[in-house]
Amino acid sequence: MVNRREFMGLAGMATGASVVGRGARGLAEADYSLTIAPYSLEVAPKKFVKTTAYNGQVPGPLLRMKEGVPVTVDVVNRSGNDEVVHWHGLFLPPEVDGAMEEGTPHIAAGASTRITFTPRPAGFRWYHTHAMAGKDLKRGLYSGQFGFLFVEPKENPARYDQEVFLALHDWDGTMVGSDDGSMAPIYNVSTINGRRLGFGEPLRVKQGERVLLHVVNTSATDPHWIAMAGHTFRVVALDGNAVPSPQTVRMLHLSPAERVCAEVVMDNPGVWVMGEVRKSVMAAGMGMVVEYGGRSGKGVWQQPQTLDWDYLQFDATALRFGADALRPEGVQSSAGLNVVSIPMVFESKFAGHGAMDRWLINGRSFPDTETVALHQGQRYRLVFRNKSMDDHPVHLHRHTFELRRMNGRETRGILKDTVLVKAGTEAEVEFTANAPGLSLFHCHQQDHMDMGFMMLFRCS
Amino acid sequence: MLSQRSLLYLVVLVVLLGAGVGARAQGNYEIQVYGSDTVLPKSMMLELHSNFTPEGSTKTDDGTYPTNHQLHETVEATVGLNSWSEIGFYLFTSWQNGHGVQWVGDHIRPRVRVPDSWHWPVGVSLSTEVGYQRSVYSPDTWTWEIRPIVDKSVGRWYFAVNPALERTWHGPDTNQGVGFAPAAKVGYDFTKKISGGFEYYGAYGRVWSFSPLHDQQQQIFAVTDLNVSPKWELNFGVGWGATASTDHVIVKAIVGRRFSWGKSPVD
Repeated sequence: MVNRREFMGLAGMATGASVVGRGARGLAEADYSLTIAPYSLEVAPKKFVKTTAYNGQVPGPLLRMKEGVPVTVDVVNRSGNDEVVHWHGLFLPPEVDGAMEEGTPHIAAGASTRITFTPRPAGFRWYHTHAMAGKDLKRGLYSGQFGFLFVEPKENPARYDQEVFLALHDWDGTMVGSDDGSMAPIYNVSTINGRRLGFGEPLRVKQGERVLLHVVNTSATDPHWIAMAGHTFRVVALDGNAVPSPQTVRMLHLSPAERVCAEVVMDNPGVWVMGEVRKSVMAAGMGMVVEYGGRSGKGVWQQPQTLDWDYLQFDATALRFGADALRPEGVQSSAGLNVVSIPMVFESKFAGHGAMDRWLINGRSFPDTETVALHQGQRYRLVFRNKSMDDHPVHLHRHTFELRRMNGRETRGILKDTVLVKAGTEAEVEFTANAPGLSLFHCHQQDHMDMGFMMLFRCS
Repeated sequence: MLSQRSLLYLVVLVVLLGAGVGARAQGNYEIQVYGSDTVLPKSMMLELHSNFTPEGSTKTDDGTYPTNHQLHETVEATVGLNSWSEIGFYLFTSWQNGHGVQWVGDHIRPRVRVPDSWHWPVGVSLSTEVGYQRSVYSPDTWTWEIRPIVDKSVGRWYFAVNPALERTWHGPDTNQGVGFAPAAKVGYDFTKKISGGFEYYGAYGRVWSFSPLHDQQQQIFAVTDLNVSPKWELNFGVGWGATASTDHVIVKAIVGRRFSWGKSPVD
């Protein structure tokens, strides 16, 4: 009999990770199991959204892993479609990263698989389906297939009274004509952790507590702004990576797939509402009640009048001015480095007012996009030029990149895996090619990636 | 680029529309096939409809002025009430040699639509229009119209039908009952900004008892829509009348500008 550790050692010998078919199951109990199946989510009293979810819950189960400690995950697909689970933000081999474009095997309808991998880096990650949706606004990221993944560092210096994981999601979408002239989804229901404002248990806090919020935008297409009435957020991490300059802000902004970790000091007793700043999205349900111990009543909302967010407020300001000695851990010095630039121009191709645009990177649409060869250990700068009328939250699989320039403004020290490139702007990010094999790059808007906004890098 | 097959579909559709019995141009003051969308709340669409008749009637008919060389200028202001309803107001005028600039009448037009949240496969709305026009321009002075609107965009194609029903409350046609006045449109997006197609307007006479073809109004327009900005609506067309009761040639233009107010980034 092979125990789990021995099994993983064998299975992961070649790559450090693997996908094993049904025949290998039963050797040992997996650390985690995910069952993909149809699910009827009650978003408000007697109001249900029919979707597909992990383990009959939305969000899926919180997976806590330890950095560098191998894990096994059994995935059973009881949905009617081929599926694949992407481990967003982890440095995994392409066989298990969870993108069929990279070579991860899909899980056929009715089939199951066992995945082994070694989670790293530490921080707030998430997992989600990486299947196409096309025009079916019940599939892919339009569905409930998402969950939190927290990779605990070997040593955790942070101490909080309470950690809260929050997923922002939009449901029940319809394709309608948008201002830019093509079809885009709008949503009737918006939730935090699968519930509309006022439904379900409030977030219960005590006066004086320090609460650490881990917020992820799991929406298929829409950005979100989040505020908490009577309180501010101290942002400590973006996409699970500590920021050089934690700052206190009135609201958070998250594009699809982005994460924000923020501390809230509970110093204003009462019953408050935390939710979407935009009234229409709040009305669709994106909010939750925050209730102090011993307080009751209706949640109070204080409506902000502006939308505020700037990545660069969290950067290593000193580094911008050349103080390289101050660079935070994990941020590579670029002094003396030969950085290779890779220009990437984003454009759309009109397909009719009654259709979704086709998306192009450097004039080509996936799968016809160029697969760019990377050399192991080489530092690269991706130079994004968004010539379209849409914002694009672009994501690079299997890597973390450093923001270097946002619409003409130099920056250092912010490490992310997804960055918003606003319409008509430019952005530049740097990363070191250190993940052999294929790595997928794409816009995290489901409708954009489905319509060709993807390309591959091959590192060798 | 319009493929051969697409061109064939377009031609067949136009022939079918043209072979049918007709259309009319809503008194030639507002020549427009409605789409199902309504104006958003806290917004107003201000439109100027300009319709000129190069070849129309040359004699006074039942006390109404001849239409030849009449220029109709109609101002339409439509205000969004909520995400699924709007109300429109019309001011009709006529500009003609010998008559100068004349006020013709006014209409009011509330409209509701099926909300997107209903997930209907086509856009559907229902408009009703009530108003007065002077008898020297229209023998029927008080009229009412109810207009179902169904539309659908499919790729580069756009289809809309408006099978309107009309009722005269005051005038010679008061006893005619309910009239059938359908309109339809097919459009094709040549580019993101330029669409072209055909619009059809008919007035068949009484429902269940259509008038002879001679007395029906039948018009078909070749039109173009310029989608230069979400704030602007531009539609131009040339129409031909197919029956003796229809003006032979009409040139139309719609220039619309959308205005919004009281909106903040957090709405």
